[in-house]
Amino acid sequence: MAAPSTEARAAVRAAARWLALLESGQASQRDLQRLAQWRASNSLHENAWQKAQLLRQRFSQLPGELAMATLDRPDAGRRALLKQALGIAALVPTAWLLSRQLPLDAWTADLHTAVGERTQRVLSDGTTLQLNTDSAVDIDLAARRVKLLRGEVAVAVPAAVNLEVQVPYGQVQVRGGEVCVRLLDQACRVSVVNGLATLQPLRGAAVVLQAGQQASLRASGPGPVMALDDLLVGWRDGVLRLDDRPLGDLLLELRRYRAGLLRWAPELERLRVTGTFRLDDTDRVLALLAASLPLEVHARTRYWVTLVPRENRA
Amino acid sequence: MTDLAPPPEPGLPALYRDHRGWLEAWLRRRLGNAWDAADLSQDTFLRVLTSAQPLADIREPRAYLLTVGKRLLSNFHQRRSLEQAYLDALAQLPEQSLPSPEHRWILLENLHALDELLDGLKAPVRKAFLWSQLEGLGYCAIAVRLDVSERTVKRYMAQAYEHCLLAEL
Repeated sequence: MAAPSTEARAAVRAAARWLALLESGQASQRDLQRLAQWRASNSLHENAWQKAQLLRQRFSQLPGELAMATLDRPDAGRRALLKQALGIAALVPTAWLLSRQLPLDAWTADLHTAVGERTQRVLSDGTTLQLNTDSAVDIDLAARRVKLLRGEVAVAVPAAVNLEVQVPYGQVQVRGGEVCVRLLDQACRVSVVNGLATLQPLRGAAVVLQAGQQASLRASGPGPVMALDDLLVGWRDGVLRLDDRPLGDLLLELRRYRAGLLRWAPELERLRVTGTFRLDDTDRVLALLAASLPLEVHARTRYWVTLVPRENRA
Repeated sequence: MTDLAPPPEPGLPALYRDHRGWLEAWLRRRLGNAWDAADLSQDTFLRVLTSAQPLADIREPRAYLLTVGKRLLSNFHQRRSLEQAYLDALAQLPEQSLPSPEHRWILLENLHALDELLDGLKAPVRKAFLWSQLEGLGYCAIAVRLDVSERTVKRYMAQAYEHCLLAEL
């Protein structure tokens, strides 16, 4: 954008002074004549004058009290849970933002989330549990055990504290560290972000995973140990991060957070994606994808969404 | 037809790859949460991408990203404090005078735009201007409230008008 000319700036300054004079109620008949002359003498002047009037209008159209309270606020960078309070896009999961302390005597408790929701809880020993979308756990503090019933849980266990995550295929023992455990169809997947985790299958030998590793656990034993997939642990921060990955990977993850149907044309899966996507507004993620990739979002309803290749129109 | 977008400058993928994680971590420390940090870091790269400055000219990428990022961060905090004040004010209103949800958004967007316009005005100038515009207070009454002369109020008003109009030039 070109810098405004000196003349334009001078015109604005003069218009501002005229307006201040008029509003003071002290303008004489002579002043009004001079103002009229000033406006007529140059289109820049008239232009600046009109802009000044528009500016006044913008303020006069506001509900006074509300605008005053907002614009005249004491300067403080406080936080707002805006969308929620405005009653729009109630996808912001409240529970995610509050960490509740569990009393010691509540030695057993249930925690669950709906599709698209995430929640977290701090136990009295300092362990943090985060529950991903569509998940459920039973907590047995006395036995230092969390039973994963559905979905996915992330535990952040303080050093020198033990916690066992029980799954249908065995147990995952965590001693100080951050670990994600996710139930799949016939197995569960364990990802170790920090510390160590021991995978104990129902039958057979245990395997120890280190930070930056993941493996699946079946009734028959642990699968091969692989490098940690960043995409699968980002949800703890409320995001999905990808660096040059197939779109299919993103969509498979995204689908878990959406109530209803999300489908896509198979050929789209090969498109490459890089970026960080927020889980609290998956509609926006889809809109972002449509804006940056050759695909279109067809939404019959919010709960029935199909992604198709964008047609090449000659 | 859909032409392929022109290939981005070679610097951008490297810039993004090498510094995104770092910038996001920096923002996260200041914001205390990851998704705002992710948003702001994307915004920062977007600004860099769309700025007139050729990427090849950026000698100190991190310093440059920080400059852009800090500006966005400050806007972000300003916006948050505005939103909070707005919500507090809404909460004070009786049920029947609450604007509709759509209107609440439009109003908020307007307030945000005006807030940015007023940004940088000294406190008494800002107050004088808001009292005049929003409460319809005369210069005399404003002078009493601020304990200054009417002449000073007139000067304040001219300053405020000029400031806003210049910002929109």
